[in-house]
Amino acid sequence: MMKTQLLVVGGGPAGLCGAIEASRYGVETLIVDEGVELGGQLVKQTHKFFGHEGFFASMRGFEIARRLKNQLNHHVKVMLQTTVVGIYEDVVVLYSREKDHTFEVRADYILLATGASERFIQFENNHLPGVYGAGAVQTLMNQFMVLPGKRFLMIGSGNIGLIVSYQLLQAGAEVAAIVEIVDRVGGYDVHLRKIKRFGVPVLLRHTIKKALGEEKVTGAVVVQVDEKFRPIEGTEKEFAVDVICIATGLTPSVELAAMANVKIEYVPELGGFVPYRDQNMRTNVENIFIAGDLAGIEEATTAMIEGRIAGLTIAQSVVGVDISKEIEALQNELVEFRSGPFSEKVRKGLSRFFPQRTVGFSRQPQTDKGPMGKLRPIIECYENIPCNPCQTSCPAGAIEVPGNINSLPRIDYERCTGCGICVSKCPGLAIFMVQENIEPGFDLVVIPYEMVPLPGKNERVIALDREGKEVCEAQVVKVLRFPDMTNLIYLKVPAGYSDRVRNFRTVKRGNVLVCRCEEVTLEEVERAIELGFTDYEELRRYLRIGMGMCGGRTCRNTVLSILSQKLGKSSEELLKGRFRPPVMPVKFESILRGESNEE
Amino acid sequence: MRRIVEHPILKAKTARVVKFYFEDKELEALEGETIAAALIANGIDVFGKSERGRPRGFFCAIGKCSSCLMLVDGEPNVRVCITLVKEGMRVQRQLGRSDVA
Repeated sequence: MMKTQLLVVGGGPAGLCGAIEASRYGVETLIVDEGVELGGQLVKQTHKFFGHEGFFASMRGFEIARRLKNQLNHHVKVMLQTTVVGIYEDVVVLYSREKDHTFEVRADYILLATGASERFIQFENNHLPGVYGAGAVQTLMNQFMVLPGKRFLMIGSGNIGLIVSYQLLQAGAEVAAIVEIVDRVGGYDVHLRKIKRFGVPVLLRHTIKKALGEEKVTGAVVVQVDEKFRPIEGTEKEFAVDVICIATGLTPSVELAAMANVKIEYVPELGGFVPYRDQNMRTNVENIFIAGDLAGIEEATTAMIEGRIAGLTIAQSVVGVDISKEIEALQNELVEFRSGPFSEKVRKGLSRFFPQRTVGFSRQPQTDKGPMGKLRPIIECYENIPCNPCQTSCPAGAIEVPGNINSLPRIDYERCTGCGICVSKCPGLAIFMVQENIEPGFDLVVIPYEMVPLPGKNERVIALDREGKEVCEAQVVKVLRFPDMTNLIYLKVPAGYSDRVRNFRTVKRGNVLVCRCEEVTLEEVERAIELGFTDYEELRRYLRIGMGMCGGRTCRNTVLSILSQKLGKSSEELLKGRFRPPVMPVKFESILRGESNEE
Repeated sequence: MRRIVEHPILKAKTARVVKFYFEDKELEALEGETIAAALIANGIDVFGKSERGRPRGFFCAIGKCSSCLMLVDGEPNVRVCITLVKEGMRVQRQLGRSDVA
């Protein structure tokens, strides 16, 4: 029989934060987690978090997991690949998959942070392999770097659906569409904009009717719905996809809580059946606490705060010191986080357990677009998300999120130096920079970019608008790399376009032909030059460039100009190469019938 | 192969290669990944068949849905989405609750 003062079930953000706080006060803690590493769902989060610095804003999820793990001290023991199989009145039974046997633990306090599982939905063939939870795809792609398909259909436009869609694009997959049954997108507007810029369509008032395939998914049928969400016949659309991602919500994993005699209530706003708890995360059972998604579906920042509150409350009881000030500060932190419009549902749900308060914030967006001609940020953030890295990252102190973090940011253009740090730090990728008239007839747009490959300086690209539609050609004039991988691309665009250009795509080189007869592509020519072929004749022998029927009429000058660009030599300096007869293809037959002077 | 080699945020995995068997076929996996990740990387999506003959794959990847149960080294009902792949491991499709497909 093992004994511990605190047993934490679940090593995600809530459980880890609970363990950190309790162990900080010397409470002997055991963390049990089913997974192969600590961090819960943070380990697959490659996006930057909203919120403020105290809770790792603008840091990527997997990095937060690493930080949290490092904050555990020697009072904490960890058992991975271990499941809590039952909670009884006097003992908790664990099963270790690695050792293949069970253990009994007696704990003075238990913090349940078991998280949530994915909500499944009904449609024909929903059992087929290839119908995956969106979180499962995220685990595969971001934790194990495996892509389970090429073309994905996303069902659900909440934050998970939007974020996973964006991450699929980052991993090189295609997202055929995002399907949403209600008439508006569920997730943050900034997440929506990130994928719209790449032209991913969002089908509102649509749902999935059927998965196609025998052994595994080969396609999906999507249908429009009426006001009562009934499918409208004749509106079916078929998508050829190999994975259908279900991102239709999460439901708290309450099994262990229920087993421990915690009162379970149905609160749809919190995700369905949830355990009762008070403001200190204590349930109706004196020594059992809960935190994170189990306590109501929210996001990682509130899960971390809840975990800390639970850990501190437990420490207070175990160690007998008064830390109510610290606890109160965290409770106020939660109130602030939940004051925004996105937490309205959660507040309503929580009001079933204890009264909710809110704090005021400014909904006033910046209206002016700053002084024309100056390099300056344009903040396209309109939704009162609790978030402020733009303010805290600005070295000039030019950005203010007035009042509290739910307010919309404002820029003092007088103080702004145009350094671009806020553009790179914004977790919503919602800040751009513009400058008019950088040279006659051209404006500048600065785009935050998190895709591969990065374009090179001077590369010509196709500029895209907010919907991912092509608007004009643009030239990369600068690539500013940041260590956290949100790089800035400075694009020179034709005058007047700086208001529209918000993304770009590189020209697909595989289809850019230099030599039409022999089908030699621009990419092949450039690669050959990088390998060390420096003149036309060498390239001709290596790539058969200019050896086709046209005799080099089409490609000779092009190759010379590519060489000139790459090597920095003028065309006159480069050898033109040899000219050989016949200038035009001549049939052997004609030559045989031909006449010669020596007859 | 379905492994991601180029990614804007993540570095490609460089773990040691281990060999394991799927239905007597030798496959390669990376040390530290789950059996499910290794199978999917090798293009295997069907992990078994239900009692009524429906093909089954994985669904949640975090050990919650029990959709990915397989026969591993003779033991049935192993949740391969949270079980690490090991050198020489024998993984088989499961039919129903415990039979081999």
